[in-house]
Amino acid sequence: MTTPGGGGQSGRWFPDEMPLPAANAETAGWWEACLSHRLVVQRCRSCGATRHPPGPLCPDCRCLESEWATLPGTGTVYSYTVVRQAFLPSLADTVPYVVAAVEPDGAGGARFVSNVVECDPEEVCVGMPVEVVWEDMGPELAVPRFRPRGTAGDEGATA
Amino acid sequence: MSGRRAVIAGVATSDYPNLPGMSEHAVHAQAASRALADAGLDWSDVDGFATTGFFPMYAVGVAEYLGLRPTYFDETNAGGASFEVLVEHAAYAIERGAAEVVLVTYGSVQLSQMGRTLGTGGGGGGGRMAPGPAVYDALWGNTLVGSYALAARRHMHEFGTTTEQLASVAVTMRDHAAHNPQAQYREPITVEDVVSSRLVADPLHKLDCCVISDGGGACVVTSAERAADLPRPPVYVLGGAHATTHHMNVSADPDLTVTAAAMSGPLAFARAGITPADVDVAQIYDSFTITVVLSVEDLGFCAKGEGGAFVADGGLGLGGRLPTNTDGGGLSACHPGMRGMFLIVEAVRQLRGEGGATQVPDARIAVAHGTGGMLSTGATLVLGREAP
Repeated sequence: MTTPGGGGQSGRWFPDEMPLPAANAETAGWWEACLSHRLVVQRCRSCGATRHPPGPLCPDCRCLESEWATLPGTGTVYSYTVVRQAFLPSLADTVPYVVAAVEPDGAGGARFVSNVVECDPEEVCVGMPVEVVWEDMGPELAVPRFRPRGTAGDEGATA
Repeated sequence: MSGRRAVIAGVATSDYPNLPGMSEHAVHAQAASRALADAGLDWSDVDGFATTGFFPMYAVGVAEYLGLRPTYFDETNAGGASFEVLVEHAAYAIERGAAEVVLVTYGSVQLSQMGRTLGTGGGGGGGRMAPGPAVYDALWGNTLVGSYALAARRHMHEFGTTTEQLASVAVTMRDHAAHNPQAQYREPITVEDVVSSRLVADPLHKLDCCVISDGGGACVVTSAERAADLPRPPVYVLGGAHATTHHMNVSADPDLTVTAAAMSGPLAFARAGITPADVDVAQIYDSFTITVVLSVEDLGFCAKGEGGAFVADGGLGLGGRLPTNTDGGGLSACHPGMRGMFLIVEAVRQLRGEGGATQVPDARIAVAHGTGGMLSTGATLVLGREAP
């Protein structure tokens, strides 16, 4: 099982040359949690509604106060696609890869676009249970990706 | 509603789909000259101008290039749906008396400038820093095609839509393009051709994706009174509406199977005093095959979930329930990036009876519906041959 927030060791699936986030005051908290391998979602302090991507204002009640709620790190695939054409030269050896809209458990319906790794892209399906795995892209950036739940042990992420 | 009614008095497309010798602004100029000539108007008649593009104060810049000093201008950017919005706005300006003749133009040399792989880009032009608006998708390697693919996959999951049904949209568009001498691709294709073409992002194949072109278009919006002694039969702007659900991140899309058309369509039809059943011909943004399936559902031409069957049984063809994209659409004829202007030009030609081999007999009411961004915006324009 993964620990709360999906903490664990990092694997590598994508090249160093992937686009970098330009974190700002509103998104820095999300990325800081990622750096410590905690999957979080932004939650309104007033009405409790969740949202992603992070932003300054609750779209439900317009409250400006929010907090980062730690998620268990599990979820399901809401939709997915297999990208087969590299849009960066450095992705030439990575395609085909799975881009998925994942509904993390406990995220109140918010969805994260991410990847499903550690499986044959042909095996991914809508509704597939997944769990977070972390990819340390450098000393200041960790990116959450997902793998099928129950098909690999904790050690699998270190491969 | 005031007494003044807005009409489209002239339309034109520029040369397309491949313009290696032309600048973007020259495409605007060519289309504008032709649309004014079509309307029987002169540059000196123009007091309003609208266009949009991807650098700040775009409309102001094109106005300068065209030698215009308009007292009404607009550059609302709704991505591919922009031109439906700009014409809706122009109609309000005409009806309010804020302008007499509004020229609306579009121009792009995307194909010549950026090459044929644009649609698979991450949105950042290959740069290292992910672009601000799309950062939450691009970091994970999502692409423009990928975003529409996520919607297509979800639609297939929820409603049983098949890749063959999606493919039928591309087949019908190609059938129509065969009659358009300017179309980028005119050779007939089959459903088998589409589903056996290279997968770009499952479930979307190469032939599920629009072409990448150079080109542009223009239209002239004025009042029915001003158009009374002009050469072309006026086409009335019966109603319009636009809406947005999210910006560029699919993760922020509240429902991947419902687009902004579900808001803009009913509003536009109500403002025009019509129902979907009254529509004789449609021009529906076809960035990807799934875009059309989602749009016909959300505009109310069929129930949610039935779009696949609607398009697969010939519904979009000539003689079908909703003849659509009679010029061949973005899937076959021309897609320079923001195709909305082409929808308006073709709708007007149909209502004037200038559709040639793809003319829908006695077309009285046409709908032009644009979709922009990552299924982010929808804009519906209802046009008619007769005064409301």
